Amino acid sequence: MSNLWFLYVFFSALLIFTGIYCLLTMRNLIKLFIAVEVISKGVSLVIIATGAVKNSILLAQSLAITYIVVEVSLVATALALIINIYKKNKSLDIRSLSKLKG
Amino acid sequence: MVFSFIFLPLLIAACLPLIGKVSKKLIPDVLTNAALAFLLLNSILLIKPVFTRGSLLQNITWFGENVNLQVALDGFNLFMLFTIALVSLCITLFSIDYLKHYGYQANFYALLLVMVAGMNGLVLVPDLFSVYLFLEVAAIASYALVAFGLGPEELEASFKYLMLSVVASAFVLLSITIIFGLTGSLSFQAVARGLQDLDGGGLIIGICLAFFIMGFGLKAALVPFHAWLPDAHPSAPAPISAMLSGLLIKVSGVYALFRFIYSVVGMTPALSKVLMAMGTISIVVAALLALGQNDIKRMLAYSSISQVGYIILGLAIATPLGIAGGLFHLFNHAVAKGLLFLNSGSIQHITGTRNLNELGGLGKKVPLTAGTNLIGALSIAGVPPLAGFWSKLIIIIALVQAKHFGYALIAVLASILTLWYYLLIQRKAFFGPLNDRWLKIKEAPFWMSAANVILALLCLLVGIFFTPVFKIWISPAAEALARGVQQVLMWGI
Amino acid sequence: MIIQILLLSGLVIFSILAILLKDLLKAALSLAVASLFLGIIFFRLGAPYAGVFEISVVAGLITVLFALTVALTRKDSEVQEARLTRLVFPLFFIIFLIIDALVMKSFLQQVPALPAGPETGTFGEVLWKSRTFDLVAQLGVILAGVLAVLALFRKKEEDKDE
Repeated sequence: MSNLWFLYVFFSALLIFTGIYCLLTMRNLIKLFIAVEVISKGVSLVIIATGAVKNSILLAQSLAITYIVVEVSLVATALALIINIYKKNKSLDIRSLSKLKG
Repeated sequence: MVFSFIFLPLLIAACLPLIGKVSKKLIPDVLTNAALAFLLLNSILLIKPVFTRGSLLQNITWFGENVNLQVALDGFNLFMLFTIALVSLCITLFSIDYLKHYGYQANFYALLLVMVAGMNGLVLVPDLFSVYLFLEVAAIASYALVAFGLGPEELEASFKYLMLSVVASAFVLLSITIIFGLTGSLSFQAVARGLQDLDGGGLIIGICLAFFIMGFGLKAALVPFHAWLPDAHPSAPAPISAMLSGLLIKVSGVYALFRFIYSVVGMTPALSKVLMAMGTISIVVAALLALGQNDIKRMLAYSSISQVGYIILGLAIATPLGIAGGLFHLFNHAVAKGLLFLNSGSIQHITGTRNLNELGGLGKKVPLTAGTNLIGALSIAGVPPLAGFWSKLIIIIALVQAKHFGYALIAVLASILTLWYYLLIQRKAFFGPLNDRWLKIKEAPFWMSAANVILALLCLLVGIFFTPVFKIWISPAAEALARGVQQVLMWGI
Repeated sequence: MIIQILLLSGLVIFSILAILLKDLLKAALSLAVASLFLGIIFFRLGAPYAGVFEISVVAGLITVLFALTVALTRKDSEVQEARLTRLVFPLFFIIFLIIDALVMKSFLQQVPALPAGPETGTFGEVLWKSRTFDLVAQLGVILAGVLAVLALFRKKEEDKDE
């Protein structure tokens, strides 16, 4: 049974890798946030797969739904930020945001 | 009674935007401060029952039906609750006058209360997934608060902070899920028992721990993961900087990490070594970076990273004395760094700038602001008899006792470095010749000064009455943590 | 089993498309398709509620939000990505895929047998009886999100002298 679990973990690792690659290399703010969404898909896949393999799918389902609610809240906040940044800079390029030096 | 820590702030936060339509300033001010004062009182009232019984478990039922609303309270999280209530009360007192710069008070207070509720929830729940959720509650509120001024810098800092923080919490959730897969449950107790019974799988647990350290290390701004903090903390309005630096990084980073490590997974020597090394690197690197800053708030932000390094160094020694030192430093740093960030808000309110090179000689004009700043700075730098001195001393004694002489030496040297950059602030801002620009400045308004004075008095009094405070307040909290996994198994859920 | 692997591959491929496509609207749409795949996988794993949520909320609501943002920020917002980013991605991806496969294969033997008692009750009961605190936290998260959006989109008139 746990062979199956590793299959899902394998695929979600691919998703998370793709997301992190994009976060590290891309410059468009909206693209960056799409990357975050891809990472969160990987995480929710692991949650449901774990529940399905360990016979606690009901619990895993409620966790996944809660996670989706969190995601919606985050997306709303982040997109509001992006629109505000666009209003100020007239650009979605991460390089136009270099007033702070990290 | 314990539940009011979560429900009361949420309830008031939900009402505030509507109340804000009727009364722009007075009612939100009074309501927020009253709520936080109530929580502070509540946490003081809980001291006796919790300390006599060791731990306290509370359930509520929904119309007679059994639902899983359960909180567990022991010395450690009561200590955190008290710190949260105390510092955030001072911050809202300060905000009464400070928020004139920003307007839109009701919404500001509502977000602040949601953040407090998130932190209280994180501290109280005995369940891995709920910890993650309350982490997100506090985090989402903090993104909006960092961007509250809506200037380009605020927005940029907030976006950076959001991106890194979302990745951090994704990793935390991932490793929570893997632990759920290994043990089949999520409550602290069942997971702790499950991990003890587990044979094999050490590698996977190691990976989970690495994810935890990465995720919570990012929230706590440990050095390889610190890039967001020097942007996010200075850009926020001063009360929020104080909130983030004083409380949020400690609750969602340090508390959550060490609660998991001590009470759920169990501390091991290897883990202790890794965390101590990370803490020490943070102390040194951030202290060196702080020296080069001209903006007061950026300097304070780097100092936060450095001091969190001390806290983690102390907690990671894994001896009772080390844990006590770490927790004591956590409290002292929350109070003193809250004070310093609020104070930088006062300076900005008085003069309109935070650039150290433009300031100078303010001490004669605004003695109250200058005096409280001096006390806070000396406390963090570790000058006797202020509170910060004792906590650093305890951490260093614990290091020597545990025969980590190298770390002890670094801790002593870095604390001299700390003193140096805090004296730099003092010299550039408050001493020296008075710049002509500041001839007409006036002392900060009443509530801003009041909040500064309360926090400065705390630094002073905790330092002077250090023995009783340590014995009554810090030791029980440290014991709860030092008992490790046993503490959670004792809860008897 | 094969269908499941096909679905998972579809999920990964559309996620990669969402990242690599230049047009943001198309990227948002392929993200929605990826969500659709994920929702179907949830259904097949016996999690219908999560599947419905994934499809309606993530594929629906979040895509709408993305499209709205793209529309609002459309004007002269072309961002020149480094060309290397897209060219190098397949290389990194294949390297990671091989590492991933090797790591998972080595883990297969090491995971201890897991205790897994069958669950009883219905979904609603589990959510209400054992995850009640999550509902409270959900309220908190929603409240935080609403307040955050209100604060970020507040009207300029309410901003006082700054």
